Amino acid sequence: MDTNKYNLTICHLYPDLLNTYGDRGNILALQKRAEWHGINVDIKNVTIGDTFDSSQYDIFFLGGGQDYEQEIIQEDVLNQKGNEIKAAIDGMKVFLCICGGYQLMGKYYKTWDGKEIEFLGALDLWTIGGKERMIGNIVFESDIIKDNGKPLKIVGFENHSGRTYLGEGIKPLGKVLFGNGNNGTDGYEGAVYNNVYCSYSHGSLLPKNPHLTDHLLSLALKQKYPDFQGLGALDDSFETAARSTVIERILKNA
Amino acid sequence: MNLKQLISITISKLAIIVLRLLRRGGTTLPGKLALKIYPGILKSIASNFDVIMVTGTNGKTTTTRIIEEVLKNNNVDYITNKSGANLLSGITTIFIQAVTLTGRPRHQVALIESDEAAFNQVTKHLQPKAVVVTNFFRDQLDRYGELYSTLNAVKSGLERIDDSTTLILNADDSMCASLGRNTQKKVFYYGISPDTDTCRSSGNGPGGSQINTDAIFCINCKSKYQYTNHIYGHLGGFYCTNCGYKRPAAHLECTAILEAGSSHTTISWRSVPPLSSLEQQYKARINLPGLYNVYNAMAAAACGLALNYSPETVINAMQSFECGFGRMESISVGDKTIKLILVKNPTGFNQVLNFLTLDHKQLNAAFLINDNLADGTDISWLWDVDFEQLNEVSDRIGNLFTSGIRGEDMAVRLKYSGIDTRKIRIIKDYHLLLERGLDQTPSGGVFYILPTYTAMLDIRSILRKKYKLKEFWK
Repeated sequence: MDTNKYNLTICHLYPDLLNTYGDRGNILALQKRAEWHGINVDIKNVTIGDTFDSSQYDIFFLGGGQDYEQEIIQEDVLNQKGNEIKAAIDGMKVFLCICGGYQLMGKYYKTWDGKEIEFLGALDLWTIGGKERMIGNIVFESDIIKDNGKPLKIVGFENHSGRTYLGEGIKPLGKVLFGNGNNGTDGYEGAVYNNVYCSYSHGSLLPKNPHLTDHLLSLALKQKYPDFQGLGALDDSFETAARSTVIERILKNA
Repeated sequence: MNLKQLISITISKLAIIVLRLLRRGGTTLPGKLALKIYPGILKSIASNFDVIMVTGTNGKTTTTRIIEEVLKNNNVDYITNKSGANLLSGITTIFIQAVTLTGRPRHQVALIESDEAAFNQVTKHLQPKAVVVTNFFRDQLDRYGELYSTLNAVKSGLERIDDSTTLILNADDSMCASLGRNTQKKVFYYGISPDTDTCRSSGNGPGGSQINTDAIFCINCKSKYQYTNHIYGHLGGFYCTNCGYKRPAAHLECTAILEAGSSHTTISWRSVPPLSSLEQQYKARINLPGLYNVYNAMAAAACGLALNYSPETVINAMQSFECGFGRMESISVGDKTIKLILVKNPTGFNQVLNFLTLDHKQLNAAFLINDNLADGTDISWLWDVDFEQLNEVSDRIGNLFTSGIRGEDMAVRLKYSGIDTRKIRIIKDYHLLLERGLDQTPSGGVFYILPTYTAMLDIRSILRKKYKLKEFWK
């Protein structure tokens, strides 16, 4: 398959501020796998104060940060970049949002003592702060992406005190097999709306779950190139070993 | 005579003996027992020692070892927690060993390395004469929480202790240096001078500096820091144009890197009043390679001078100290050498990788990654390590082995750094790993083993049996 004619531009939003939990791995995974598939790929960093024209990009990535840094970007994200982000979502651009970036796409964050912080409101979801952090390995199963015809098992690591709830029209990314997921009670993890994919799982998420990486790349290519047929297979033996070893170990101890 | 104290010490001492007989190390359990029986035990018995404490994210152990050497050179009668037993229970064990059954001290000075997260708790019991803080870097978020909470915990710990304590702080670290603001305590700063040319030995390729986000915003006013010079990570000549907070002038600093070898670094350094009576220039050879060890040596030197030990004994200490547990420990196997270097967080790992790229020989290394509690159960930090810098020496890479509980994840990380996957091998069995690794290492070469904490305990116990590496609590 001749994929060389394809180009993707990936926008890493706030890379200097939202990258607490190895989120750089997700960018590396998108970049490397695109390259291995023969797709030309370009990574652009966009942070506080930078002008931002979302039509220039095909995939957007938003990671998680520490409270201190999340506070700093608040104004920029809501007032400077918010409308462009919403336009890109309506235009079916591909987004991956992890942890704090996931929460930020929602309507608000209510701290455990009742203070409400306004978020972007791009997706109908909201987060309530909890006193206990939910920390540990997580395995969930997604109907949206298939692995040999079966729902894909995705593995990662979660570390969050916010409990996220999904409104109407927002689908969860998957069902939790081990761990807490969105809120530790309803058994779901992550969120999907248009081509926006959200998850609490880092670790990093994409390198060890190559099906998901290729799924996101395919969505972006389909969106950009109507004649795009699909990605070929790569040698994923390391990724498969890492994924299955951890899944096996976690589910055995469950 | 305090009966509870007597029982506490006696039982704890018995536990030490029994654990040693069982060859179990026994660095934490005896202290835990002692505290359980008598919660006031540590405070009570430690009050008769001159206590020096070392804390911070990276470099605690090496800094402690150099200070220890200063004490030795001055014939000081001291105790120290050697084996990385740096939580409250381990520190208690050390003191129990150092007193008689009635709690009388058998030594004069206690040199204590304290885990930065435990520091706040430990200072409820200890009243140190001097505290050295090395630096603050992102480390095991699942265990320590966010970086600013670690900094705040150390800050509370320092506020708790008496104002007669001397603080020895890193001038180049905006977070560490902030501990010296608004305090009545005497403060000495150490660092690497902005005039020092660190290019040859620093790990700051474009990738290296880009991925740092530990402290880019001013701790007072949240404006972005500017830098006159950059050493590595967030260390360097920071200043804030908004509120004026900046790198404080250092009382002791490295002024030149004269030689950056693969086993040592030769530097010039100076001290200024009031740390010395006049401004003084010195030369020293640091018995370990890497820029991060220059910081450790400067921290130890500042501590030494602050405690009125002579510069000569400090210089001797830098060149003769014994490497700590897993800090470049060497084991000769025939005409080859195994070197053990502990890795535990991105900044430390980056510095070690940078050191590996400085060598000119073929590079054969094993990465042993565990995710037990002591290692951090979240291994996402591997993605913040700049493995990409290995591509700069790709023609020198022999074999890179990955192992440990998360050996497969490590292989994935190396793959996505762009390294030829034919050079990456997952070998989970440590015996086989040692055999293959040494086999692939050319004659006269070094096989580097980079384990996380618990992986090091495992590989060390194998190395001990196989090659007679000394037991770690000795």
